[in-house]
Amino acid sequence: MKFRAKITDKGCLELFIHVSGTVARLAKVCVLRVCPDSLCFGPGGSGGLREARLWCEVRQGTFQQFRMEGVAEDLNEIHLELTAEHLSRAARSAAGASSLKLQLTHKRRPCLTVAVELASSLGRARSVVHDLPVRVLPRRVWRDCLPPSLRASDVSIYLPRWRTLRSIVERMANVGDHVLVEANLSGRMTLSMETEVVSIQSYFKNLGNPPKSAVGVPQNRDLESMVQVRVDNRRLLQFLEGQQIHPTTALCNIWDNTLLQLVLVQEDVSLQYFIPAL
Amino acid sequence: MAAMLKCVMSGSQVKVFGKAVQALSRISDELWLDPSKKGLALRCVNSSRSAYGCVLFSPVFFQHYQWSALVKMNENELDPTLNLKCKLGMKSILPIFRCLNSLERNIEKCKIFTRSDKCKVVIQFFYRHGIKRTHNICFQESQPLQVIFDKNVCTNTLMIQPRLLADAIVLFTSSQEEVTLAVTPLNFCLKSSNEESMDLSNAVYSEMFVGSDEFDFFQIGMDTEITFCFKELKGILTFSEATHAPISIYFDFPGKPLALSIDDMLVEANFILATLAEEPSRASSPQSLCLSQKRKRSDLIEKKAGKNVTGQALECISRKAAPRRLYPKKTLINISALENCGSPAMKRADGDVSEVSESSVSNTEEVPGSLCLRKIESHFVTQAQVQWCDLCSLQHLSPGSKQFSCFSLPCSWDCRCVPLCLANFWYFVETGFRHVGQAGLELLTSSDLPTSASQSAAITDLSHRAQPGVFLHIVKFYFLTSNC
Repeated sequence: MKFRAKITDKGCLELFIHVSGTVARLAKVCVLRVCPDSLCFGPGGSGGLREARLWCEVRQGTFQQFRMEGVAEDLNEIHLELTAEHLSRAARSAAGASSLKLQLTHKRRPCLTVAVELASSLGRARSVVHDLPVRVLPRRVWRDCLPPSLRASDVSIYLPRWRTLRSIVERMANVGDHVLVEANLSGRMTLSMETEVVSIQSYFKNLGNPPKSAVGVPQNRDLESMVQVRVDNRRLLQFLEGQQIHPTTALCNIWDNTLLQLVLVQEDVSLQYFIPAL
Repeated sequence: MAAMLKCVMSGSQVKVFGKAVQALSRISDELWLDPSKKGLALRCVNSSRSAYGCVLFSPVFFQHYQWSALVKMNENELDPTLNLKCKLGMKSILPIFRCLNSLERNIEKCKIFTRSDKCKVVIQFFYRHGIKRTHNICFQESQPLQVIFDKNVCTNTLMIQPRLLADAIVLFTSSQEEVTLAVTPLNFCLKSSNEESMDLSNAVYSEMFVGSDEFDFFQIGMDTEITFCFKELKGILTFSEATHAPISIYFDFPGKPLALSIDDMLVEANFILATLAEEPSRASSPQSLCLSQKRKRSDLIEKKAGKNVTGQALECISRKAAPRRLYPKKTLINISALENCGSPAMKRADGDVSEVSESSVSNTEEVPGSLCLRKIESHFVTQAQVQWCDLCSLQHLSPGSKQFSCFSLPCSWDCRCVPLCLANFWYFVETGFRHVGQAGLELLTSSDLPTSASQSAAITDLSHRAQPGVFLHIVKFYFLTSNC
């Protein structure tokens, strides 16, 4: 089993730091899945989709060097379990660095070594090395680490401006625990919350819908009908506040009364957050 | 005339003073205010005696500085024991210097003076528009401690900008107690200390290498790896930001303390941290180290108390020296005869102590890392050597003096009254601290040996805030034998 990756581009490095920071905010223990063409972060532990979970994929394009050899020829992957906070801290020490290298090593126990080279313009070199303890997961638990494969969502819609959405959900969180998210295929989205004393509704329109490419979607779907799901407000807020990347694409998929999926994409990184219905 | 202190500062000076108090608060819960002709020194020692901080403000730092010591009628020279003995609780003084930025902006003048009659320190802030804020803090009378450590004899010296150290500190999580500093003549490495049992859960090992050209001054006499607790380091960094002066680090081999010092023209700060000694097999983790040493320490106290037997003392000392030594090499302790001259609760210092030869003690003979509070510097006698103590030279050990002999190097002093033979004794004075020492520090109180019974009786101390009471342990072992 071998894994070695290096980032030398400043933009990619910043992105990686943000990604590891986001994962640390949203999951305590994460599973790092090293595939031939990408690095995937998943939540630790099994549990299906009964609770809000984050999956993140960092494609090979982020890394200037990427080499891996899986556990076997046919199963060319490595699954590692580590504490997300460690990786985030180690990555943070690379702020402003010239390069960051990830490598799977064995120093008394399996480690993910994060080596950061800081070379300032004055020619001074500083290097920092972190050995993060990891656990190599056996193949029998690999299935739990994959993102769920689901049928096509009922509605898919672009999210409104991040700051607006975040501040609205934040204010709603002060009032109550549940929020009802509704959307339709005409670009309308509604967030509502109701308690005994007060009811709040926010209407967004002209958001746009991403083109449907999945098969099996009924073509004569009513564009105006709203699909809804009631989710825990705090989980939604945690994601909205915790994520640190600046996505070029942000959309959400709703399965009627079942699941809310938020998808963010920036360059070679994609973040998916699943919140089950209450 | 009672010992007193009076000084006046401006707003920006208060900020530096407040930062010093904040830095020292990271080390300990108690602070000594020790004025002398060199300036006002703030001193503190942590409860496990593994860290000591002293910030000395020279008289020119203040707008006005005035101090005096108790003057006895029959004394021509000022005895340091008569200085102001003022110990303040950090809880009382720290909140006063809390919002330093606003203090700097808003106050015109700050006056600090003592009222010995009421055992109070008065801090007055004079704000604009005639507003005055007064704080009265009660102090306890307690002899300040000083560390015996000469940083100038250290083989390794570094001078760095605080920024570098601050960057390094960020790498280490607060759960990591200790860091190791490894140096070679070409580079510098700060890393998490190697724990024997590194389990999966949350033990990230981090290392930071810095090239020697990032230092203002980089002189390494010998390759070393030393390990110390870095909790106190953070406090030192906050103070260095206030002074904008680079930090100098002096250290030697493992076991010998590490000194961090910040010296600009007006303020001089020294922080001495104990380091872990090398050991072939380190069974205990650093945390348990403190406890085991505490146990040993209390054993040592008990042993000394009223016990008269050489063998016992030998045994207790050598036993303690074995598990943890301050020197990598073994030093044999040869105490041929030990005589307890008094009960541990003896409150007087014998007048004739001055005539007795004293042997030097290095920390190895005591509990490893034990607290050695001394009224007199004492020597450790090795097998073949005889060292005597000269009380004249003790006069040099005035408060604030940096000319302490390095405790690792036994000194030879002449003695006024040369005894007939190998005199072997060491003694320590514990002014009421029940806490136990950890590796590395030897402390000297700011006074020389009290030469009169009344004086030593006047040294009062409260061992613990919650336990009012005055007690003084003076345990002396000395002997004069007639044959070598």
